[in-house]
Amino acid sequence: MSITLDFNGKNLAKSKSLDLHYLPAKVDGDGEANVEEYFNNYTREAAEFGTGVLTNALRGYPLMGERLKVPEGYRGLVLQETDKPLSESSDRQLRLTGVFDEFTYWNYDKVPSNGDAYRQALVMADVAQALSQPISEQDLEAEIARNKENTKESP
Amino acid sequence: MSKKATRATKPKPDPDVVATGKKSAATAVKKVLFVSQKLLPKDADDRRLHLERFFHPGQGKEALFVTHPDGQIMELLEYAEPRRSWLVNSEVCSNGRIYMTTPLDPTLLAIHHLRKHCAQRAMSLDNIAVEEARTSRLLTEFLNPDSLKCVADVKRSGDQSFYKYNQERTLAWLALKTRQVAGILKEKQVHCGHSAQSQNFVRSDKLAAENATSEMDYTRMASDIVGRYLDADLHDLLTGYLHIPSEIQAIVEEKAATQKRKSKAGKDDGSDSKKIKLSDSDVGAKLKSSGLLDSDGDLNASVTSPTATPAPLKERSLTAKEKALAKGAKGTKSIASFFKVK
Repeated sequence: MSITLDFNGKNLAKSKSLDLHYLPAKVDGDGEANVEEYFNNYTREAAEFGTGVLTNALRGYPLMGERLKVPEGYRGLVLQETDKPLSESSDRQLRLTGVFDEFTYWNYDKVPSNGDAYRQALVMADVAQALSQPISEQDLEAEIARNKENTKESP
Repeated sequence: MSKKATRATKPKPDPDVVATGKKSAATAVKKVLFVSQKLLPKDADDRRLHLERFFHPGQGKEALFVTHPDGQIMELLEYAEPRRSWLVNSEVCSNGRIYMTTPLDPTLLAIHHLRKHCAQRAMSLDNIAVEEARTSRLLTEFLNPDSLKCVADVKRSGDQSFYKYNQERTLAWLALKTRQVAGILKEKQVHCGHSAQSQNFVRSDKLAAENATSEMDYTRMASDIVGRYLDADLHDLLTGYLHIPSEIQAIVEEKAATQKRKSKAGKDDGSDSKKIKLSDSDVGAKLKSSGLLDSDGDLNASVTSPTATPAPLKERSLTAKEKALAKGAKGTKSIASFFKVK
């Protein structure tokens, strides 16, 4: 079984840009909604909470948000599986719905801050980068030698 | 995030399961991905990215990786908060996860196979795991053979290279990797001390200046992160190599130090409390339920860093004080627990 992300460079360049909102709510269900009229219409800037802070409400619950860029070095993609696979073992394809470089991050009744799990989680990208950095052979030899000496000193 | 039995703790249907047709949804579930620019096909590139499953030693099972036909491989991580969903243009998307590609050194994945197959004799890469097509594909297509010098002895005969697993080199290499990770943790001022109370205040200038987190805390956390890619026993070896004391021990030592300071003025109030004997299995159970070991509160989420789960403390019993401490540490979580391997 393999899963193909079914798009090439051209598709990517021509794909449409999407407007995304990252909502702090669990929604049971997928489908069309009149986002423009009932949600985007009510987005306000709330300068009293800081620059770039937005407010809105979802079913009466206050939201506070901000525009966020996709992490540096990354591109946001939305993929969708259009044809259902016939069985577990058959090949699957994910098609490209669109791309985005910015999205609106919403918190429930809290100004977005570094305390948000989302922001803290992004550190993992840097950690993974550091972990994947190759190690030069000289460094490795030096480390082996150092370890040998250490074990000699404290047998 | 909390462990309270709210609606959010109800097991969520996995969007991937929905997608495989076990349950029919009105529209196919969308997935939001952050894909590294390095991986994305450029303008004239007609090749496609693939999602493939390879054995993930830290998980003990297969996990998803993103591959590019030119031999690049990245790990696919899933970021899931309990209550999140997306609005995409004018559509609601119930799948509130973010899938993110993170760079990966495939050598880490290869170590498992080298230990399994090449511990005794040197083998060429295409001879390892011939019966497992995927493993063989991982080793021959995505692994840079040169990087294996760091974890194996290489013998050359003509054009062919043979590899034999070398534990000494592997541990030294992993130790260097751990230091790299510890470096970035420090740079980003990730709060990883066991004394972390609330991460919400991590970035306050005062705390940063206090520099409360010791070198060892960074090293311990880094080794746990590296350990997510290793077999459990190899992770233990690495912890030993780096001389990292167990977390509980560290808590106790630190507590003892503060006790001493406090009781300097007054009389010594007997910091040696009576030891309560516990059998080993009890200790393991205590540890697990204490949340010290990073097991995630989300029932649905699998344990995020399996290697952090018990190397149960052998021949060591917890005093009442330690148990209280373990209880207090309940609910603190490391940043590693935000992501799980997809």
